[in-house]
Amino acid sequence: MSEREKCALVTGASSGLGAALTDRLLARGYRVVTVDHRAPPGSPDRQRLQVTCDLADRTALDRTLPVLLDAGPYDVVLLNAGISATGRFEAMPPAVLERVVRVDAEAPMVMAAALLQAESLAPGARLGFVSSLSHFTGYPGAAAYAAAKDALAVYARSIRKAASRRGVTVSTIFPGPLDTAMARRHAPADASAEKRLPPSQAARLVLEGLEKRRRVIVPGRVPLVYAGLGRLFPGAATALMRRLVFEKLDRETW
Amino acid sequence: MTPGERRRILITGGTAGLGLALARHLAPRHDVMVTGRQASAAVSANLPATCRYVEADLAAPVDAAAAVEAALEQAGWDGLDHAVLNAATGHSPAGGLEDAATIRRTLDVNLVSTLLLARMLHPHLSVRKGLLTLVGSVARRGTALFPAYAASKAGLHGFGRALRSEWRGSVGVQVIHPGPMRTGMHEKAGHDPGPLGRFFLDPADAAAMMAHDLATRRSPVTLGWLRYLSGATFWRPRL
Repeated sequence: MSEREKCALVTGASSGLGAALTDRLLARGYRVVTVDHRAPPGSPDRQRLQVTCDLADRTALDRTLPVLLDAGPYDVVLLNAGISATGRFEAMPPAVLERVVRVDAEAPMVMAAALLQAESLAPGARLGFVSSLSHFTGYPGAAAYAAAKDALAVYARSIRKAASRRGVTVSTIFPGPLDTAMARRHAPADASAEKRLPPSQAARLVLEGLEKRRRVIVPGRVPLVYAGLGRLFPGAATALMRRLVFEKLDRETW
Repeated sequence: MTPGERRRILITGGTAGLGLALARHLAPRHDVMVTGRQASAAVSANLPATCRYVEADLAAPVDAAAAVEAALEQAGWDGLDHAVLNAATGHSPAGGLEDAATIRRTLDVNLVSTLLLARMLHPHLSVRKGLLTLVGSVARRGTALFPAYAASKAGLHGFGRALRSEWRGSVGVQVIHPGPMRTGMHEKAGHDPGPLGRFFLDPADAAAMMAHDLATRRSPVTLGWLRYLSGATFWRPRL
């Protein structure tokens, strides 16, 4: 075994699940490269390389990719960055729809393909895509977000073979509601925050799942039940989501 | 809407494959407008004479949605009964991974354009309590042959599922997933299906089954051999 320092890449690391994942990886002694829309607060340190890039901007991403490839090879890659847009679909401006697809689906797909092609993932590495529990339940009130997250989940499944030829395991993570700023921004006003999983706990479950090379990771017991029900009764699950989310939406947020 | 009534139908990607087959199937009894990315002169010989044609390249989603909206206005269509968003592109990469440009183009044509067209068409469809039909693919469950294509089609499925719930009561939303067809799409994507290709559905049969599904408004629907052998090309309600 080589004594090479373990290295991880996390996108969307400035808040929520990405921040919790980064903290855990740092605590385990990983060197972590983070990619964020804006520079996160706190002083940079030796263990952490912070890269700033708006993932909706194709030129910016093309400029950033070589930097990320140079900083590898990685043992863990978590393509976690995502944005949502909630409200009536027909009210969302075209620019918002385009941005949601680019950040939530296109950018992680482009990054994963580039990392695999450049052999920037060390043999035995884990590649994790953060999709959404909405893949199983449907998500009226966030139609573009649901579309992008479904696209990402199926892309992850489709490149599994190409990744395993390079010794890389692909996992797809389907988090339910987390207690993050993103959830507070997009959930209906009366939704209770206590039911949401704390991001630190979700991060622990995600890293455990990666460790065990699970293909599908659904952090938390309640989301797991929802995922199972959505699989068995897709129509009923979407109708439930309509009552729980769409009919309670009191504002449009993007 | 009573069966047999003349309907206004928009079909994207109607110059080849399933879109063309559907336009030919519906043009004798309905008003059909077809979109494609070629110039009008290049496609008119192929299309039914009564079809209107709009040139719109879905690789530029914003411009394409504007072009289609302008064409609807020019035709004096104040409402639409059906919009069939069928246009798509696919690529089969060697080694199982596409480059960035291919991923971006596939998502723009197959997914982003569909989102922008659906949004633009909402008021047109709601005037007549119309139906939005999204053409997916059985590849939506994932395939190593066409990763970005499969992803874009999964996106359409999730989008249609959410939108059907959101628009309940105003505009119908339906997702149809055709199985492999003899449309030339595999060749265009750079994949040779080999002897299996003989078993692919004829696009005309798929279009006939699809016309029934437009009439019933069911979703999601899979168009494959099982339905074909059950007589689905002639067995169900007529549009």
